[in-house]
Amino acid sequence: MNLTETPEERTFRAEVQAWMAAHLTGEFAALRGCHGPGEERFDAALAKRWEQELATAGWVGIGWPQAAGGAGLPLGKQIIFHEEYVRAGGPGRLGHIGEQLFAPTLIDFGTPAQQARFLPGIRAGREYWAQGYSEPNAGSDLANVRTRARLDVERGEWVIDGQKVWTSWAQEADWIFVLARTEEGSQRHHGLSLLLVPLHQPGVTVRPIRQMTGGAEFNEVFFDGARTEGSLHLGPVGEGWKVAMALLGYERGVSTLGQQAQFRHELDLVIAAARANGAAQDPVLRQRIADAALRLATLRFHALRVLGAGGASHAAYTAKYAWSNWRRDLGQLAADVLGRAGDVVRADDAARTRLQQVWLSSRADTIYAGTNEIQLNLIAERALGMPREERKGP
Amino acid sequence: MDFTFTEDQIAFRDAVSRFFMTEAAPEQLREVWETGAGRSAALRKKIAEQGLTALSVPEAEGGLGMGDIDWALMTQELGYYAIPDSLADTAYLAPGLLAGLPAGHALRAQWLPRVVDGSCRIAIGHPVNPWVADAHLADLLLMAHPVADGCELHAVPRAKVELTVLPSIDASRRLFEVRWHPDTETRVLDGVAGAPQWAATLDRAALNVGGQAIGLAQRMLDLATDYAAQRKQFGKPIGSFQAIKHHLADVVTEIEFARPVLYRAAAALAAGEPDASVRASHAKLACAAAAWTAARKAIQVHGAMGYTWEVDLQMFMKRAWVLDAAWGDRAFHRARLGAALLDAETLPSIGPGTTFA
Repeated sequence: MNLTETPEERTFRAEVQAWMAAHLTGEFAALRGCHGPGEERFDAALAKRWEQELATAGWVGIGWPQAAGGAGLPLGKQIIFHEEYVRAGGPGRLGHIGEQLFAPTLIDFGTPAQQARFLPGIRAGREYWAQGYSEPNAGSDLANVRTRARLDVERGEWVIDGQKVWTSWAQEADWIFVLARTEEGSQRHHGLSLLLVPLHQPGVTVRPIRQMTGGAEFNEVFFDGARTEGSLHLGPVGEGWKVAMALLGYERGVSTLGQQAQFRHELDLVIAAARANGAAQDPVLRQRIADAALRLATLRFHALRVLGAGGASHAAYTAKYAWSNWRRDLGQLAADVLGRAGDVVRADDAARTRLQQVWLSSRADTIYAGTNEIQLNLIAERALGMPREERKGP
Repeated sequence: MDFTFTEDQIAFRDAVSRFFMTEAAPEQLREVWETGAGRSAALRKKIAEQGLTALSVPEAEGGLGMGDIDWALMTQELGYYAIPDSLADTAYLAPGLLAGLPAGHALRAQWLPRVVDGSCRIAIGHPVNPWVADAHLADLLLMAHPVADGCELHAVPRAKVELTVLPSIDASRRLFEVRWHPDTETRVLDGVAGAPQWAATLDRAALNVGGQAIGLAQRMLDLATDYAAQRKQFGKPIGSFQAIKHHLADVVTEIEFARPVLYRAAAALAAGEPDASVRASHAKLACAAAAWTAARKAIQVHGAMGYTWEVDLQMFMKRAWVLDAAWGDRAFHRARLGAALLDAETLPSIGPGTTFA
């Protein structure tokens, strides 16, 4: 067990800090602290130029193996990059789904031709990806996917019909990986394939969904005779479920440390607000602020321990449940620190607006990427080995 | 940052676990509870043969020269098997105090080798605890004596103390009120020299209790998980019902999130980091909270059986409950954290996690 940073890591940390200070300036200064398309001030074209700025400096694909065009940085340095990125006010990463979720899966399951075709675009910050999993009737019960794809043998193309929903940032993406039923009459997790589908085509309609925060991060995506090449299935045809689940595993990866740095930033905003309006003198709120700080430190230790163990430990299953509860409580704390002023929507106080966003957006955390109830089932069945409940579906 | 233990550390832990599994089965524990028999010199001797009592003693004095990080693992085993003996007081806290004395000090030579071979028991009297565990069997009591400029360390033979036994709801515990009189003969360190030693002892003790709490939580979780797999209602194991699953998923989550806090504190103590006390308090609170949750959920999953004397769960629950108040209760540790985290000057960038490093 060694919990101190090496001199080399400290040097690297300073390097990232210096780079961020030098580059998150000029036109990019407008992106500072911006989370993404959910915010009114979000400028997609600018966000893409920022991704390319990162890519040029070699900050995209830092965790990919060098053979795949990445930097192959060791875990410690990846963590440091994500932390310093957020600490410097780096904006939400438009390329996140491509770089952090899709690319590692492509590296593990893709053919050499698929890798050669898609990795460079992601690495360069030129091509953006969306994730097509959930459907109106396949939420917690994801195996109930009904979007179907059939192979048009004549043209050697998949033809896709159906609907996906809650598709984050699809309005800015170029491609989507779609979990679709490729075997007619198949049930549950059998007969599914993960297809790589271009979004810019007549058969695809993307419709943003307005959230209770007012913004629109996610979308409905309709497929109506949409097409993609016959070779663009990731992993074997009919075994998409396995690949789709492997992809979810990367969601628990290194970028969670960057997410925690974001949480740290939000907590600092809450503390600053508490100091400004006197809430920091309230003994009950003081205790809750201290608790929030301690629990966040705990999330970090846990993540480092899981990542250090290669992410394979049973403890990994508990991560999402814990952080979502933490942030839900932080949202409540933000609201309580704001007090009555938190009910007022007016553009006169940027800090208040930001905390209102933390508060409102936190209500989604215990629901997306697997609800708390689903997480608890996973923990019980996979980490504790408790008996599986019988699952039935049409 | 690397939270992984070495293969040697894991192997040592596993060996100790196997040893306790056979030597400290619940039936033996129950006997300690019900007969009032206290401690077994034979068991202590066997524990010493496992190397556990040598862990914290410097190599020059016949020990293994290991420390806090190893104890973070070992204390979990003590908790998991609810070892009733106050082993860590003799084997972890006392060597810490004694090894803090100047090299060549007579007390070191007199007691450290006996700690290693398991032939002595040392009780610890710290101002944070009104009572002293296992004082009746102690060959030596290391007592704190608060004075104006700090806290003196006294080494008091048992013949010089008067004891009153205090039965505990954890019937395997042996607590005593200790009456004694500090004098120049018993004094080992003056107030100034003693204060940092006692402060370090409190931190180690918090780690010890925290580790035991996690071990107890894990045991209660295992008992409840097994019970839920065996007990059937409505024609199915009750563990297949989501309501039951979610109780235990909550427990494992809390345990898995408390463990790294414990390890972080152990690393801070081992390295003598300036915020080690804050980390130790955090660890004790997080581990105790996990144990409370485990107890609450485990009894719920056991249903009425969990409320009985005959089912083992109650022994582990009660041990977890009483340990929570030992070596500083929650109010004490929260106050220590509050002082460190919420000090007016540090509030804008809260506490040791600020640098996130």
